[in-house]
Amino acid sequence: MTKKYDTPLLDELEKGPFPSFVTEMKKAAAKSEMAADELGLLEKSFRDKVTYWKHGGIVGVRGYGGGVIGRYSQLADQFPGVAHFHTVRVNQPSGLFYTSETMRFFCDLWDRYGSGLTNFHGSTGDIILLGTVTENLEPLATVLSMNGFDLGGSGSAMRTPSCCVGPARCEWSMIDTLDITYDLTQEFQDELHRPQFPYKFKIKTVGCPVDCNASIARADLSIIGTWKGPIAIDQDKVKDFAKKGVNIQEEIVNFCPGKCITWDGNNLAINNSDCLHCMHCIAKLPGALKPTPPFGAVMLIGAKAPFVIGATLSWVIVPFMEMKPPYEEIKTLIRNMWDWWNEYGKNRERIGELIIRRGMREFLEVCGLEPTPEMVREPRNDPFWFWKEEDLEKKPWEEFLK
Amino acid sequence: MEKEELKKAIYKLIEESAGKKKYKQQDVIKHFRQQGLADAQIKEAIRELIDAGDLIYTYFGGSYIELGEKRQGS
Repeated sequence: MTKKYDTPLLDELEKGPFPSFVTEMKKAAAKSEMAADELGLLEKSFRDKVTYWKHGGIVGVRGYGGGVIGRYSQLADQFPGVAHFHTVRVNQPSGLFYTSETMRFFCDLWDRYGSGLTNFHGSTGDIILLGTVTENLEPLATVLSMNGFDLGGSGSAMRTPSCCVGPARCEWSMIDTLDITYDLTQEFQDELHRPQFPYKFKIKTVGCPVDCNASIARADLSIIGTWKGPIAIDQDKVKDFAKKGVNIQEEIVNFCPGKCITWDGNNLAINNSDCLHCMHCIAKLPGALKPTPPFGAVMLIGAKAPFVIGATLSWVIVPFMEMKPPYEEIKTLIRNMWDWWNEYGKNRERIGELIIRRGMREFLEVCGLEPTPEMVREPRNDPFWFWKEEDLEKKPWEEFLK
Repeated sequence: MEKEELKKAIYKLIEESAGKKKYKQQDVIKHFRQQGLADAQIKEAIRELIDAGDLIYTYFGGSYIELGEKRQGS
């Protein structure tokens, strides 16, 4: 198939040192009319500064409420190959591990049923198969199912849970992120495939506070591996790092948010009771510092980028939970919060927004959680208490502390 | 209420509201809960209607339950 459209604007995106999606689309366009028309439509969108896509609607696979995002071009006459250009989300394997055979399976599958364009992976974590027509959806779902794959989540449902590579490849993982993600995916199949919430709900699990999956910023429920024991210190290795040019005072001690590390040039000491478990020091001095058991996870709730109030990081609700199969404690917690959200949530209201609207106190009550100091999100700002400068000069808190 | 009777009632609710009001699954549950039915029972009835293709999930800025016939020819 020859090139159908001139794409001077898209061609600009092929320049420079980085891989370009335009180059890959052109490769697909050489053998797929759908991909060629997608390229042409995209060029027109860039030129006109208008998106010509409609999304949503009634398209899907029988029995499923998600996994397919209907997309239709408003310029079907001009670009007939993309009149229908539905996106299919496929539940990815935990940690995104594939054999080359599996990758070939997906490439062949999508050459046959779709545009040949894929996105490994979407920001939720799913395998994204871009561009197919309505009549291909049922056979596609059947072939996926026969090969051990299932559709992912979309719409007002639990989205496909995702995780970091965890203990499979990372020495710092303190929980089995892969098993937790797989287990929760199996447990909540109904909530994944049958949209029943006010809006989406994302669960992301990471093995340690480095948070390679950015769960704290992107997930409604973040499950982050953590530790309770003291940080083990290998003083010789710390000195090695210092000899190799790491400025322990500047890069480690001064960056500690708990101010719990001291370094005299020869010996590093940590006051573990003041440690905030951010893991900065451990990540900067691999091998020299190590977390020690007991291991578990901290649960956080309510992250979301475009809240009405702006981007919001998640909020600690359980400072430490043991994470052992069959994970009943967290499953019960999730069900409790869903029940409350389902009952009171408005359409398109995320659980974090509902917590802001109705209060953390009510959320903790329905979840059966006792308030703890770790849940304090920020120091209280009391609008009805005004200090004057002269008041502060008297240091009234000293009187209070007495 | 028997399950088949409930399924008919749910279908009728969706049918009569077509073009006027879109129901989410939880809206349907809340509607029939007032008649003394358990959430799980209503959920199961919806599930069977969806699996049979009588009702479908749609997405218009949120997920809703609508009549299955709409999907034909989509």
